Amino acid sequence: MRGDTLLEIEALTKVYRSRRRGDVRAVDGVSFRVGASEVVGLLGPNGAGKTTTIKCLSTIVRPTSGRIALDGVDAVRHPRAAVEKVAAVLEGNRNIYWRLTVRENLEFFAALQGLRARAVRASIDELIGRFGLGDKARTPARMLSKGMQQKLALACAFVKETPLLVLDEPTLGLDVESSHDLRVHIKEAAAAGGRTILLSSHDMDVVQDVCERVVIVNGGRVVTDDRVANLLELFGARAYRFTIAGPVGGPLGDALRVRFPLLDARSDPYRSEIDVELPDGAGFYDLVDILRESRSVVESIDRRDPNLEEIFLKIVTQEAPQGGAR
Amino acid sequence: MRTLVLLWAMTKREAIELRRYAFDTVMQLVTIYVVFLLIFFGAKAFIGGAARTGGTLPGIVVGFMMWTLAISAYSDVSFTLVQEATAGTLEQIAMAPLGLPRVLVARFLAGLGFNLVIQLALLLLMMATTGQWLHLDLLSILPLMAVTVAGVFGIGLAVGGLALVFKRVQSVMQILQFAFVALVALPLDRFPFFKYLPLAWGNHLIGRVMIDGISIVRIPGPDLALLLAVSVAWAGLGLAFMSRLDRVARSRALLGHY
Repeated sequence: MRGDTLLEIEALTKVYRSRRRGDVRAVDGVSFRVGASEVVGLLGPNGAGKTTTIKCLSTIVRPTSGRIALDGVDAVRHPRAAVEKVAAVLEGNRNIYWRLTVRENLEFFAALQGLRARAVRASIDELIGRFGLGDKARTPARMLSKGMQQKLALACAFVKETPLLVLDEPTLGLDVESSHDLRVHIKEAAAAGGRTILLSSHDMDVVQDVCERVVIVNGGRVVTDDRVANLLELFGARAYRFTIAGPVGGPLGDALRVRFPLLDARSDPYRSEIDVELPDGAGFYDLVDILRESRSVVESIDRRDPNLEEIFLKIVTQEAPQGGAR
Repeated sequence: MRTLVLLWAMTKREAIELRRYAFDTVMQLVTIYVVFLLIFFGAKAFIGGAARTGGTLPGIVVGFMMWTLAISAYSDVSFTLVQEATAGTLEQIAMAPLGLPRVLVARFLAGLGFNLVIQLALLLLMMATTGQWLHLDLLSILPLMAVTVAGVFGIGLAVGGLALVFKRVQSVMQILQFAFVALVALPLDRFPFFKYLPLAWGNHLIGRVMIDGISIVRIPGPDLALLLAVSVAWAGLGLAFMSRLDRVARSRALLGHY
């Protein structure tokens, strides 16, 4: 985390009470902080508690217990004061008015935040230009493409001039080009405005590209809170691919599996690939020793660089390496 | 200042939507006008000469105008909430620093101006069609209408609050439409307690201005005070109920559902 703390969530818990189905603990003691001007990813599998957390800090869901401080304002006790600090683009919502044009939407959402049209005119012009909506400024939102509508929803969040922006699945349903386009806009807009962004997405390319740090939640709890670069380094340094001549089988295969139970080996009659994670140096030399003893011909040894998606999957399936999770 | 900015934004949005969906706006007016014609000429045929001599037909004109104004005022809130929820913008307006109830009040006030203009235009059309020319003392009529409708808006806020939590409240809305008919149609001398309900007392006073030709300054102070007190009380109750159900909806995470 860098800079002063802008968002502080402490022991956040949300329990949905139901007589029929029993209590559902959607968020179970989530705590994390986000510094000013940071871009942080909030990740987790479906049902992990991401959206509930986001809605709690956006004040549209009241938590059962815990504390949320937005730029020093207690969002649980003083939600109206807190919403001056946060704007959100929420998953599954249109977030914009289809009957209004691009410019009218921006003016309306600024006014909803209490900002006069005259005071935000320059900001609206700048956002229309930045998000590539210049030639669509007078077009009703319903006539825009899905990508354009999502850009407008983002622009409507930016126009509120809040220090924190929460983006829940901003690229959901967009094609590859629109998704790429949108992530460029998010990065540019975040950099230009010095905004703090909390971004939730299943699109790990977006998260890896846009976020400096990720908070991973699972089962309503935070399981990892670390910088993206640290996670990539931590996991990347320990994953290797050995390519050897001939198939892996018989005594060699048995020896490998006894020593490295999580090893993944693929063979054809001419070549084998062995993917293995080696959390300590000794394991590397043990593997080399086993291959030497079996007189295997090592064609290459590569350090694999797993992407964020692979790391995420390992973490949520509780294969996180020591030190990766807090 | 912030409230004025919000009010201006709501008024602008209302004007844009009325203009951009002009066909829908015109068709709503045509529908109201046709319903009025059916009621008016039906009553005329049914009651006959007694209606004209007993003042029933002018009463129908005033009562119908107030009934349609009441319907648009109270249904506006619940329809707005349902529309915003289905459109996926309810959570956005719920994040307004002024709070959802005040956003809805601003929406109501923005709509009220347009509704009053539309109702007066319809009134002229109804008077021209029926030949029942009433006193159009706008300085007396408009304040009375605005205060009367504020009480009805309180009911709208309460129903809107129910819509936040229970989502489908169409049955309540239909029942209320009939209840409003009773409030404008039933005589207050036989049902005096009606004056403490929204709409009835205001309708009575507006009838005195439009049918009897009495100016607002000649209406006794206690009568005006009663109208103001009843409307403020119902609007306040509606606002408090709505605020309570807004908190319930946030607690149960219902704002994003429909």
